[in-house]
Amino acid sequence: MDDYIPIAALNQYAYCPHRCWRMFCLGGFIDNQYTIEGTSLHDRVHTVGENQREEIWQIRAIWLKSDQYHLIGKADLIESGNGRWYPVEYKRGHVGEFENDALQVCAQALCLEAMTGKPVTLGYLYYAQSHQRQPVEISTELRQKTIAIIEKVRHLLETGDMPPAIYSSRCQGCSLYEQCLPKAADKVKRYREA
Amino acid sequence: MGTLYITQDDSYLGKTDERLTVRANKQTLLDVPLIKVDGVVVFGRSTVSPAVVIELLERNIALSFLTHTGRYLGRLEPELTKNIFVRAAQWKAIAPSEPALHLVRGFIRGKLKNYRNALLRGLREFPELSLQPALTRLEQAIAPIDTTHTIDSLRGLEGSGSAAYFGSFDALIRAEGFQFTHRNRRPPTDPVNALLSLGYALLRHDVQSAVNLVGFDPYLGYLHTQRYGRPSLALDLMEEFRPIVVDAVVLSAINRRVLSPENFETEPLSHAVSLTLEGLRSFLRLYEQKKQSKFKHPVLQTQCTYQEAFEIQARLLAKYLMGETEKYPPLVLK
Ligand code: SF4
Repeated sequence: MDDYIPIAALNQYAYCPHRCWRMFCLGGFIDNQYTIEGTSLHDRVHTVGENQREEIWQIRAIWLKSDQYHLIGKADLIESGNGRWYPVEYKRGHVGEFENDALQVCAQALCLEAMTGKPVTLGYLYYAQSHQRQPVEISTELRQKTIAIIEKVRHLLETGDMPPAIYSSRCQGCSLYEQCLPKAADKVKRYREA
Repeated sequence: MGTLYITQDDSYLGKTDERLTVRANKQTLLDVPLIKVDGVVVFGRSTVSPAVVIELLERNIALSFLTHTGRYLGRLEPELTKNIFVRAAQWKAIAPSEPALHLVRGFIRGKLKNYRNALLRGLREFPELSLQPALTRLEQAIAPIDTTHTIDSLRGLEGSGSAAYFGSFDALIRAEGFQFTHRNRRPPTDPVNALLSLGYALLRHDVQSAVNLVGFDPYLGYLHTQRYGRPSLALDLMEEFRPIVVDAVVLSAINRRVLSPENFETEPLSHAVSLTLEGLRSFLRLYEQKKQSKFKHPVLQTQCTYQEAFEIQARLLAKYLMGETEKYPPLVLK
């Protein structure tokens, strides 16, 4: 399969597989925008809005890619200091679905490793509302979890098989509720026509 | 959000910034933010600027063209959503199949039960009306639906149920100067038929938009068979809404005397009857009010507008075809 898995799909999947299906199988989210030309980090570092701050290199809005895991996605910020590269993922609100967000950082780390050839052991989540930077250790456990989710998402994208919509507390905050109607199956069953 | 109805002949639809403007005779008749528009219906002749066409397509807003008498001509359709799964399920259920039969039963049951409930409501209001024979015939058409196994026989039940309802429709009309003898169209030759036809054309614009939004192929239906250029699925889904939206608006326009016989004009020779411009505007206001009015959706048990109900029913239809629900529940309102 030539299609790469959008990193953004991973935490959607972790949130709700049905939501992931709606976003990435149904709506044509995966468009050709994800096919990027070979990205070499060292080529980009001097050309994409970088700035130097206490010997830390920053590159914003950069495409990350891993051929091994067939992953692709745009990173908000990549930094480098002491010869190490690490991803910083921006989140609008407060510390929320930390688990899901950590998956995304880990997936970015996997890409960074592929692109730099160096191990990435640390990443950050930056929560805009509280200006907090939360370290994310790219542990073996997190890697395994991430790789397992990548496999599930790959399977989902390849087959298009719809995971069932199962009502849970997460549905209340889900922007796709009106399309998904997760309670419909139950309510249809109980409906008696007048 | 609402539908924009352009009734002024030879008007010009233009775009300035993020707003849609309607001009005629060097005057600006309307100036609305595009964000507030979810559909456009043009009566008669209008010039639509290329900028507006592009904007409507990009914003997924459908534009329908009706003749100035309200006959449906066609529409500018934004690209269908990429929901191949719904379309695949839709095609897989093509007749003869159990799901196709189930859906046809649902559409017809929904329509006939809503006919029945309309007559019952009439009877509650005016107990002296002799609606009982029609109600009996309607019951006789409804009762065998779920044990009828061919789509053709179901069409027969629909036909006899509709005949019973329209045979008594005149009794529901409570204003001087309006009568109804039978349904006629192309062209309608009396005011009541003119209103019904116009209402169904407006409903079609709305239901087809909902069907497209959910990702269906509007041209593949179950009750209405495929015919070139006919949005069969939209026509299918319209059935249950005809009595509760259009017929209800027509009756209230007449019975509440929003419209009087003076609001209609008859064409020479063809005897085609249509609304005057002023009458048309009154009717469109009523139709739009109806669409935005709220009720409790009997399946979801939440408040929604009729406009939202078009989309809800289309989503419930998709869920049934995708195997997520065990039946399709037509919207039946008391
Ligand atoms: S409403 Fe619930 S089941 Fe549906 S996509 Fe959202 S989270 Fe998943």
